[in-house]
Amino acid sequence: MTTAIVTQLNGRVVQVRLTSESSDTTVPAAEDGVATEAKAMESGAAETTVAETKSAPNPIAPESKELYWAAGSFIVLFVLMRYFLFPKLKKGMDARYEGIRNDIDGAVTVKASAQSDVAEYEKALAAARAEAAAKVDAARQAVDAERNKQLAEVNGRIAAARSAADQQNAAARAAAQGEVAAAVAQVASKGAELAIGRTPDAQTVQAAVQAAMESAVSR
Amino acid sequence: MLALDFPEINSLLRWKDLFPSFNKIALIAVLAVVISSTIFLLALRQNHEEAPRGIRNLAETIVEFIENGVVMQTMGKEGLAWTPFLLTMFMFIYLCNVPGIIPFFQMPATARMAVPMFLALMVWVIYNATGIKHQGIGGYLKSTLFPPGVPKALYILVTPIEFISAIIVRPFSLAVRLFANMMAGHILLVTFALLSEALFQAKDKILIPVGILPFFMLIFLTSFEVLVAFLQAYIFAMLTAVYIGGAAHPEH
Amino acid sequence: MEAIARLVAAAADTTAADAKNTAAAASAGYAYGLAAIGPGIGIGYLVGKSVEAMARQPEAAGMVRTTMFLGIAFTEALALIGFVVFILLKFA
Repeated sequence: MTTAIVTQLNGRVVQVRLTSESSDTTVPAAEDGVATEAKAMESGAAETTVAETKSAPNPIAPESKELYWAAGSFIVLFVLMRYFLFPKLKKGMDARYEGIRNDIDGAVTVKASAQSDVAEYEKALAAARAEAAAKVDAARQAVDAERNKQLAEVNGRIAAARSAADQQNAAARAAAQGEVAAAVAQVASKGAELAIGRTPDAQTVQAAVQAAMESAVSR
Repeated sequence: MLALDFPEINSLLRWKDLFPSFNKIALIAVLAVVISSTIFLLALRQNHEEAPRGIRNLAETIVEFIENGVVMQTMGKEGLAWTPFLLTMFMFIYLCNVPGIIPFFQMPATARMAVPMFLALMVWVIYNATGIKHQGIGGYLKSTLFPPGVPKALYILVTPIEFISAIIVRPFSLAVRLFANMMAGHILLVTFALLSEALFQAKDKILIPVGILPFFMLIFLTSFEVLVAFLQAYIFAMLTAVYIGGAAHPEH
Repeated sequence: MEAIARLVAAAADTTAADAKNTAAAASAGYAYGLAAIGPGIGIGYLVGKSVEAMARQPEAAGMVRTTMFLGIAFTEALALIGFVVFILLKFA
C-alpha cells in the first residue's frame, strides 16, 4: 500500500512524497494522519492525501489558452493565404503555365507549317518522278512500236519469199508429174498397141495411169 | 534492478508558460504561421516567369499537391475554390506535427487536444454551413438524414445512425484521430528515450549494451513519426475535403 | 504472523479510491487491448486488398491509394479511441 503525500502551498504543488507501508508497517494509519496534520501545522501549508492527487489536470482536456492561440494563428494564416499569398502565387503559376501553353501552341503551328512544307516538297517530287516515268514509258513504247513494225515487215517479207518458193516447188512438181504421166501414158499405149494390135483410146489410158499413180501415192 | 520511473504524464504534455498564457504549444502554432507565410513570401519574391526552383518550387509543389492530390480526388473541379483553405489546413497541421521530432521542441502541438478540437469544430461548422448554403436547410437535412435508395421501413434504423455519424461522430473522430496519433507517437518516443537512457546508465554493467536495442527503436520511431506527421496532415485535409464535397453535392 | 498482520493492515487501508484506481488500471489495459483487435484485422485486410487491386490494375493505383488512406483513417479511428480511453482511465 502506497500513500502519496502532497504538500501544497497557496495551491501550488510544493512536494510530493511517496511512502510505502510495507516497509513502514509499524506506523498506524491514525498516527500517520496525526503526523501529517502536525507537519501541516508546522509548515503552515495545506496537505492532502491520495484522493486529492487525482485533481491533477486531465492530460486530454483542452486548455483554453492553447485553444485561443491555435485558433488565432490558424485564422491569421488562413486570411493571409486566402487574400494575399495564395492568389498571388497562383496568378504567377497560371501566367507561367499560360506562357508555356502558348509556347507549345507556337511550336505546334511551326511544326505544322514545316510539315506542310515537307508535304508540298514531297508532292513536287512525286510529280517530277511521275513525269519522268511517263517520258521513259513513252520512249519505250515508241521503241517497241518501231521494233514491232520492223519485225512485222521482215516477217512479211520472209513469208512472201517462202510462199513464192512453195508455189515454184508446187509448179515444178506438177510439171514433173504431168511429164511422168504423159511418158507413162505413151509407154502404156505403146505396150497396149503391141499387145492388142490397135491403138487404145487416149482417154482410157490416161484414166488408168491416173488411178495407178494415185494408188502409188496413197500407198 | 533498473531505476526507471515513468514521469507523471502531465509533465510530458503540459508546458510551463514562457510568458503569461503563452506556452510551447502556442509558440509552435505561431511558428507554423510564421514559417508557412515565410515560405510563400520568399516564393513570391522569385520571378514567376522562370522555371521554379528552390523555395518557389517547394511552395508550388505544395499547392499542386493540394490541388491534384486532395481537391481533384475528392471534390472535382468545382472544389478548387477550397484550395486556399485546405492548403492552410494542411500546412498548419503539418507544421504543428513536425516539432514532435525536432530537437528542443520535441512536442507536437497537435498532441494537445486544444488544436485538433478547434480544427475539427471549425470543419464541422464549415461543412454544415456549406450543405445548408447549397441545398437549403431542409434539403441538407433530408439528404443527410434520409439517404436516397433506402427502403422506407429502414429509415427508422438508418436515420438515427446517419444523424450520429454525420453530426456527432465525424468531428469527434476527426479530432481524436489527429490528437491520439500524435500523442501516441510522442509517448512512444518518450518511453523509448527513457528506456535507453536508463539502460545506458544502469549500475549493472551487463545492461549497458542492451540499451542499443531501445535506442535503435527510438531512431526507427523518429523516422516513422516523419511519415505520421505528413500522413495525418494529409488525411485531415482529405477528410475535410470529403465532408465539404459531400455536403455541397450529396449525390457524390 | 507478521505477514498476515500486514495483509490485514493493507486490507483495512484499502479505501474506495484505491479500489477504483486498481480497477481503472486493469480496465485501461483491457480497453486498449480489445480496441486494437478489430482495427488490426481491418487494416490488414484493407491494405492487402488494396495491394491486390493495385497489382491487378497498376493504372488505377493512384485512386486505390487515395481510397486506401481514407479507409485506413476510418478504421484506425476505432483503435485511437481505445487509446484515448486508455489514457483517460489511466491518468484522468
